[in-house]
Amino acid sequence: MSAALSVQNLTAGYDRTMVLRELSLAVNAGQTAVVIGPNGHGKTTLLLAISGLLKPSGGTIEFDGRRIDGTAAEALANRGIVHILQGDGLFPDMTVEENLLLGAFVRGSWRERRTTLRRIYDDLPVVEEKRGQKARTLSGGERRLVGLGRGMMRPARMLLIDEPSLGLAPVAIDAVYTAIRRLKQESGATIVLVEENFTHIGEIADRVHILEAGKIVRSGSFDDVSTDRTVVETYLGAIVEGGG
Amino acid sequence: MTGALSSLSAMRWAAIGVAVVIAAIFPLVYTDPYYMTIIVTAEIVLILNISWNFILGMAGVWNFGQLAIYALGAYGSGWLMLHQTWLPLWLAILAGGVCSAIVSVLLAFPTLRLFGIYTSLLTFSFAQVVQYVAVNDPRGLTGGSFGYPTVPPLFSTLDQEAYLRNYYWTCGAVALAACFAVAWLRQSHLGISLRSLRDAPAYAAARGVNPRVTRVVAFGLSGFLAGIAGALYLSFEQSFTTSQMGLTPMSIDVTMLVIGGLGTVTGPLVGTAVVTAIQTVLIDYPGWQLTILGAVLLVIVVFIPGGVIGLLARWNSRISAWVAEDTG
Amino acid sequence: MTDLVAIIANGIVYGSIYGLVAIGMTLIYGTMRILDMSQGSMVMIGSYVGWWALAVHGVNPVLALLLAFVVAFIFGTATELVSVQPLLGRRNDVDFEMVTFITTFAVAILLTNVALQHYGPFQKNVPPIVHGNLELYNGVSITYHELTMAGLSVALMGALGLFLARTRWGFAIRAVAQDLDAARTLGVPVTRLYPVTMGLASALAGVGGVFLGALYFASPTAGDLPLLLALIVVVLGGLGSLSGTLYAAYLVGLMQAFCEVKIGTTWTLPILYGAILLILVVRPYGLRGTPSETRL
Repeated sequence: MSAALSVQNLTAGYDRTMVLRELSLAVNAGQTAVVIGPNGHGKTTLLLAISGLLKPSGGTIEFDGRRIDGTAAEALANRGIVHILQGDGLFPDMTVEENLLLGAFVRGSWRERRTTLRRIYDDLPVVEEKRGQKARTLSGGERRLVGLGRGMMRPARMLLIDEPSLGLAPVAIDAVYTAIRRLKQESGATIVLVEENFTHIGEIADRVHILEAGKIVRSGSFDDVSTDRTVVETYLGAIVEGGG
Repeated sequence: MTGALSSLSAMRWAAIGVAVVIAAIFPLVYTDPYYMTIIVTAEIVLILNISWNFILGMAGVWNFGQLAIYALGAYGSGWLMLHQTWLPLWLAILAGGVCSAIVSVLLAFPTLRLFGIYTSLLTFSFAQVVQYVAVNDPRGLTGGSFGYPTVPPLFSTLDQEAYLRNYYWTCGAVALAACFAVAWLRQSHLGISLRSLRDAPAYAAARGVNPRVTRVVAFGLSGFLAGIAGALYLSFEQSFTTSQMGLTPMSIDVTMLVIGGLGTVTGPLVGTAVVTAIQTVLIDYPGWQLTILGAVLLVIVVFIPGGVIGLLARWNSRISAWVAEDTG
Repeated sequence: MTDLVAIIANGIVYGSIYGLVAIGMTLIYGTMRILDMSQGSMVMIGSYVGWWALAVHGVNPVLALLLAFVVAFIFGTATELVSVQPLLGRRNDVDFEMVTFITTFAVAILLTNVALQHYGPFQKNVPPIVHGNLELYNGVSITYHELTMAGLSVALMGALGLFLARTRWGFAIRAVAQDLDAARTLGVPVTRLYPVTMGLASALAGVGGVFLGALYFASPTAGDLPLLLALIVVVLGGLGSLSGTLYAAYLVGLMQAFCEVKIGTTWTLPILYGAILLILVVRPYGLRGTPSETRL
């Protein structure tokens, strides 16, 4: 079901400013890669390039053996690539339920949308409570959960998740990561998750990559990376216990 | 790219000089009254276009009321010419410009709060109101749709050729002066502010550009020029009808601006010339005129967004780069 | 009292048809951020279809309306492909809105003049959909045609609302209006959606054209006035806001009816424009729209 991702020498950016500079990254099928790094160094840009919202200037992106760089996002969505945008990418004037239903937009998923919706509601009762409310009126944490729920509305072969903990209180972050863990289990998808907050990463990361100045500068397992002194001092401030 | 006067090379200046001389001598050699009339009219339209290009293209303000301002210049100066006969005619024309400038500045104020498209509706509504009032002419000020009563011409002579010649030189001089003025303004503090406001408003604000003052000044300057154009039109054609403000002239003028290249200095010149040529050739087929203009407008905007001037500029830089490659 | 009935009756009739013609423009703006200046031409096309179908061929009125819908839909889609689609790469440029304003405007000029070439400048009579008058009160009457026009306009607008709220494509259109990138990541085929949206909007305007043709004749410039009025309504209601458009349409309709009854038709438009000037000064984003929120 899931497939491997291979990014090679990717250069991408906006107008004249290149943010990613010959970035290379490989994720095995079904694995979860967490990309961390300072703000503005290209984490979001990387996801945008992979999902097809941004056209790269150079390099290649291969998914499941096929090149996808330069392919439009709409087409990639039909191939099982689910991108959960930073912030939340919810449609503000639509209700929670409408947002979720749109998650099943792709042909093939649309027919079963009601059944899938029921399943999502069972998994995320918090979301069901708010089903009739406009997305605009929800709290940050609730919106994030709806965004994840929307991502679960269709079968995912690759999940791209952009800073799920951004701007949330710790309690909300816990809820979000619980949902992410379930998502990982149920879909078995290849996951690229971008994060600033280190706390929950250990629970889901198969591999951690550090993105700095547009390139991956360090890769390793969570344990390796979190106990590496230089990494910790530069990015983390304190050694963090791997969460469970 | 066309730009600061000071940075124009000697060659460019020489070329301009030659062109000006040729243009100046032209009416001495060529005297066909039919075509001369067309040319003088084109000169006046050029002045209007330069003024409109300044506010629409350079300042990036969606001002669709320019034709009403233009008309007000005609009416303003016309009134002075008829009722204040002690005033020298050329002064009346200037006064028409001032009158337009004032109205234009007043129009600027409400647009300060509006963004993009809303400005177009506001200015457009303004133009419609002006046109309606002019057509219905409550106090006999505008001559309604019959047109403004005849005003004394700038050059009273029975010799048609001389009449045309003199107007040619006058309007041509004004157009030339306007061109230079815009070129200079473009590189001036005002011009740079305007362009930065158009392209990157947040950045401009951060750099201390005062959007309000800048915009009001831009409206004033463009209004002044448009008013002069209107006054000159009235003076030359000896009439000014309300249809001059309508949608058709507006479409034609927009086409001229876009073909030449919105926001460039010489764009209006090229655009006015090209469209006038098309119109003249197709004078017997009015329906075709507009159809072709519409098609050309579409093609240009889609494929050659910078207009002719933009295209030339790109070729120019490509050629320079190519030359540099060879010699570098 | 007579006056009041006249004002309300006519106001509702006008408001309904303005709503029909303007709602397409709002749909387009909300979804594509374009002010489509060719919507007036779609009304004109509808009027000619009405003339051709009803006057020349005596076709059943329902068929005539259907035909106008289809023809205008095709023209609308074609317009998008020619005047918007090629520019989508520059969507993020500063001037995108102004450029598309000009390209759609160019299409309008083209269509007007092609019509002029083909049909000549003289007006053509479009027969009303339904004949006859209904007396309302004390000499105030409205024609059955106007009644049908109002009724059908409301029905069509309602249908549009249902379409947007219940169907897959309706969802897609609203999604694109509210967050383009998110919609794309969900698989919404934006490049196919745009022409369809514009086609749909134009189709509604076309149907409006059949109705308006009976009131204002079919001619090459038949689209000018509807365009102006649609612009007024759309901007007044707040660009991109469907509910705003509806309110504004009836407001404008009532204002027009009021002017006609109390003041005299000549001054209706300038007064409308004057009112717009005032309203925009006080509420720069129209009655209901705020810039960042689209209400599609």
